Parts: sequence; C-alpha cells; structure tokens
Amino acid sequence: MSITTEKKIQWCPGCGNFGIYNAFKSVLEKNIDEGRLKKENIVILSGIGCYGYITNYYDINSFHATHGRIPPLATGIKLANPSLSVIAFVGDGDAYAEGMSHTIHAARRNTDIKLIVHDNGVYGLTTGQFTPTSPRGFKGRSTPFGNVENPINPITLMLVARATFVARGFCGDIKHLEYILERAIFHKGFSFVDILQPCVTFNDTYSFYRSRVYKLEDTDYRTDQYEKAILKSLEFDDRIPIGIFYEKEEESFEEAIRGTHNYFYERQVPDISEIVREMI
Amino acid sequence: MGEKILMKGAEAIAEAAIKAGAMAFFGYPITPQNETPEYFSRRMPEVGRIFLQAESEVAAINMIYGAACTGTRVFASSSSPGISLMQEGFSYIANSNVPCVVANVMRGGPGLGDIAPAQGDYFQATKGGGHGDYHTIVIAPHTLQEEVDLVLKAFDLAEKYRIMVVLIVDGLLGQMMEPVEFKETVDVTKFKVPEWATVGQGDREDRIIITSLDLAPEGLEKMNLHLQEKYRKIEEQEVMVEEYRMDDAEYAITAFGTMARISKTTIELARSEGIKVGLIRPITVWPFPSKTIENRANQVKFFFDTELNAGQMIEDVKLALNGARPVYFYGKMGGIVPSAEEVLEEFKKHLGGQHE
Ligand SMILES: Cc1ncc(C[n+]2csc(CCOP(=O)(O)OP(=O)(O)O)c2C)c(N)n1
Ligand code: SF4
Ligand SMILES: [Mg+2]
Repeated sequence: MSITTEKKIQWCPGCGNFGIYNAFKSVLEKNIDEGRLKKENIVILSGIGCYGYITNYYDINSFHATHGRIPPLATGIKLANPSLSVIAFVGDGDAYAEGMSHTIHAARRNTDIKLIVHDNGVYGLTTGQFTPTSPRGFKGRSTPFGNVENPINPITLMLVARATFVARGFCGDIKHLEYILERAIFHKGFSFVDILQPCVTFNDTYSFYRSRVYKLEDTDYRTDQYEKAILKSLEFDDRIPIGIFYEKEEESFEEAIRGTHNYFYERQVPDISEIVREMI
Repeated sequence: MGEKILMKGAEAIAEAAIKAGAMAFFGYPITPQNETPEYFSRRMPEVGRIFLQAESEVAAINMIYGAACTGTRVFASSSSPGISLMQEGFSYIANSNVPCVVANVMRGGPGLGDIAPAQGDYFQATKGGGHGDYHTIVIAPHTLQEEVDLVLKAFDLAEKYRIMVVLIVDGLLGQMMEPVEFKETVDVTKFKVPEWATVGQGDREDRIIITSLDLAPEGLEKMNLHLQEKYRKIEEQEVMVEEYRMDDAEYAITAFGTMARISKTTIELARSEGIKVGLIRPITVWPFPSKTIENRANQVKFFFDTELNAGQMIEDVKLALNGARPVYFYGKMGGIVPSAEEVLEEFKKHLGGQHE
C-alpha cells in the first residue's frame, strides 16, 4: 500500500529530507502491508521548519503543530489515546533550541512516543541561522564572523536524560536508516533518533558526513550497556558512529500510571458510527 | 544632521536602535524580521556591542529583562508568535519598572498563521498580552522615516518612565526601501548608570532590589497604584497622533501603521471626487488619542475605521466617541492588504448615495 499524497514536494533538490522521507515511507508501507502497523492507528506530527512539511507528504492523519512544542503535543496525544502509534518529526531548531527542555522531559518520562530529528545544523526555513548543533565557527546568517558557541551532543544528552532508545542515522544511508526507524517505531517507550541531514542550501555537510560515518552494527558494539553508550556517544570527530547506541525495555509512563488511572484507560469510548447514524 | 540613505525597513530599524545607543540586542529567528537580527549580527561587533541569538524567545525576553535591570539600553525584535511567547516577560518587566524597547513585526495569525503583513496583535499590544494590570507604551509608525525617528523617542520614553516601549510594524514596512535620515547619534560614552539599577552596591548605602513580587496584598496594591499613577501621567503627556486633512473633513478615517499609509491615498482619491474626508492616525496606540477623536465628533458625520484584522482598534475609537457618532469598519485578515481603491469603495458604501 502506498502512503504518498498528491502534494508536490517542495524541498530544495538534493535536500537531505528526501532520504528521511523515503526511509520512513518504506518502513511504514512494509509494516502496514505485513499487518504489523495499522494505518488508522498512526498519528504523525511535525513542528515548524523545512522538514515540517513532511506531514503533508504522507497519507496519514497528521498534526502540523507549534515550533518547539512537539514532545508535549505528542505526549498529549499518546496519553489521551494510548492505542495510537505516535510518531513525531522535529527539527534541530525545534528539538534543541526552542523546545530543548521538552525533549529532555519527554525522554526521562518515557512516554511511548517516537522523536525523529531532522538534524541539519541550521534553521532552514528562516534561511540559515546557526542552531545548537551547528559547529563552532559556522558562518550563517546571524554569525557573519563565525559561531562562537559550543554545539550540543544530542546523543549524549538523550542518554543522560534516560531515553530508553537512542540512535543516530544518516539520510545518505537509507537502508541503514530504515533499519533504525523500524526499531525505533517498535520500541516500547520513548524513542529518539537524531538524523544527520545535510541542508544543501545553507549547510551542505554531505561530504563531511560521508567521509566520517561508520555503522555501530558493523562493529562488536552492544546496545545494552549504558555507560559504554555514553562513552561511545562522545565520539564525534574524524569518525562519527551511526546506529543504535542504547535500547532498554523499561516501564513506560502510561504503564506506570495505569494502576491509579484505571477509570480513564478503561472507559468506554463511544462508538462514533452510532452517533453519526443518529445525526443523519 | 545626517544625509538621506536608501535603506530597507528591517535594517533601518536596527541602525536606528544602534544610533539611539542600544548596547545589546537579543532575538530568535522568525520571519518576517530576520533581516533585523542579521543586520545587528554584523553591526554590533563593529561598534563593540552585544548581539546574541537566543535559544528561544522566552530566553531572549529574559536576557532583555536582565540587561534592562542594569540600566543598559536594550532592544529586541520578533514577530507575532515570538512576541506571544515573550508575554510573561512583558508582565514581569512592567511590574519591575525597567526600561526596554521591543519591536513586533506583526504577521498573520492566530497560531502559526502566515508571514504576510497583519495588525491582529493590536489587542495583545495595547490591552496587556501578559497577566496583571499593566501597559506598555505602544508606537505604530507608518513610514520608515517615522520609524527611525520613533526608535530614538522610544528609548527616551522607556527611560523617562522606566517602562517597556513596543513598536508595532508589519512586514510591509520591513521589506520597503525608502530614503531615511538618522538625525542624531547618541554618544554612549555619556551614559550614566541610573540610581535604581542593579549593578553592584559600590558605595551606595541601600542595596537595590528589583522585583515584581509582594506577597502582602497591601504591598502589591501599592506597586499597582504606582503603575497606574505612571500610566495616567503617560496618558496625559505622551499621546502622539497625526490629523491628516481633518480641517475641513466631513468624514474621518481612523487607521494606524500600514493601513494609515494606505488610507492617505484613499483620502486623495476621495477628495478628487469631492468627498471631504480626513484621517486621524494614532501614532501611540497606547496611550490612545481618545481626546483627538472625541474633539472631532461634532465635526464629522461618521468615522470609518480600517485595519488589517477583524476590528480591534475600532473598540478604542468607539470608547472615545461613546456613541456620539457611528463608526463603520473595513478590515482584511490573513495577511491580505487592501488597495487604496478598495478602501475607498468600502468607505463609499456608508455615504448613503450622497456622493454616487
Ligand atoms: C515561536 C516561534 N518562533 C520562531 C518561529 C520561526 N521559525 C519557523 S521554522 C523555525 C526553525 C526551523 O529550524 P529547524 O527546526 O531546525 O527546521 P529546518 O527548517 O532546519 O528544517 C523557526 C525559528 C516560529 N514559527 N515560532
Ligand atoms: S533550505 Fe535546506 S533544509 Fe530547507 S529544503 Fe532547502 S536544502 Fe532542505
Ligand atoms: Mg534545522
């Protein structure tokens, strides 16, 4: 089953968002076809940015929401209707600047939501200012003399915030990205995927990443060792690891509150078809 | 006196703030005002001052709040959604009595809306978008030269009353190129630290405390009364308004900013058809020029208010008139800017066939 829409895709030719778009599309189509996901049970969200238009390009119920506030919005959806698969696309501006605190709190709360970050190290939609993942020295629209701030390391940050699934992908390696996204979607609890995404217009990092990335899955790295994951996450120089850094099954927020919130979760959701019939 | 330089609005406002002695700029990217922070990011290092792109508008307004507490001239700009996020800071700044100047380049709303010119933030700006009983002075220029002149005036007012001054403009003014003259450059080496500023005690006897808190209701009432006293004084002394072709007017248009600019053309068109119409243009929308409007009630047959929203300033026009004359309205939303001809056509609908 195809999940594409008629909407014309508006990203610049060569934009890294295409890789993310295609990887997610094949993961969803495959899993819907194989009956592992139900299309009617999926809600996708995005914040505001170039990447945010992604929700227009999939034929899935979607919520194009507020810059920076995606983790709480996704939390609201999931808690109101725990049977949904809630998958959220966010930008680095969204996740690490405007909404940084939300990203951290969603991770430590371990609500079953999926956060997929289009990390292009720049504010694309507002045309080229530095973000919290732009490197020092980055010359952007608001840093004509070079960025003087230190970038954050999203992987280390999310590990320290106790996210139960932490991964990094590269949109230039679609097969590998599909593998990560599939694992992220089926992880129970909060999943975090930071995707290295070149912005060909304002921050073209294709060759930079291509010459540095290597897959953790090609090494003897294990994903169940917390301290080692933190150490591994610090590697970001001549070699940049991509893959799953850490995954752990832990009680999700929804599970933890179930004992005290039975009424809410066991209430009868009215059969809408009845109501609709009455109205007609 | 300087010479006239052709400049883009979004850059002219930044240069005006620099010439007015703004020592620091704090902001966060948002369209349609990105050229303003971009200009500051180039110029502030040149003049040895501060430019900082914050992690959010909430951070930016609190950097302003902090810097303002030290008695430093500070400036920020943003656009509607960003200004909404700053409202908590606006309220705290009001009750802390610290001066600063913030520009809102208004865009279509509510929510994410669009990036086209709009005036839907009038209520938020003039009625206090944050919590509590407070006002900021709100200035609405309609040309680049006026904007440039008013930036300097805004800092003077902010410091005179220890209050926040908000400039409301829209993307049209920001994108426009017009010749501007910077009439004065403030010598920042002459700045003195005000006695209320938190800059380290030095040999001052009492320590300075800046706060917006008083848990004792009587204490908080006193803070409020102080604010209200200040607001009454501003209402008495600082109203700015332009009356355009009102001397012989039989009808009055009320409009601010971009719509006032368009209305001036509408008025020329109307007058060429023999319709005597003038414009009352609030330059400060708070304090509002109620008296000016009231004074024209007996002269004109009706008022015609036009705005880029569903009708916001019209409430203040009606309050000023207190029912003395009818007030009609024409507005456009969503970032659509009507032409002078469209405004005229709408205006003429209320003439009752007298000028067909
Ligand atoms: C409260 C608020 N502030 C600022 C903006 C302006 N804005 C729109 S998109 C964006 C950031 C986009 O950057 P990112 O999240 O990295 O996405 P990208 O465009 O790079 O894909 C910003 C700051 C906004 N829409 N809302
Ligand atoms: S500006 Fe950059 S992120 Fe935005 S669509 Fe173009 S290449 Fe992609
Ligand atoms: Mg980005």
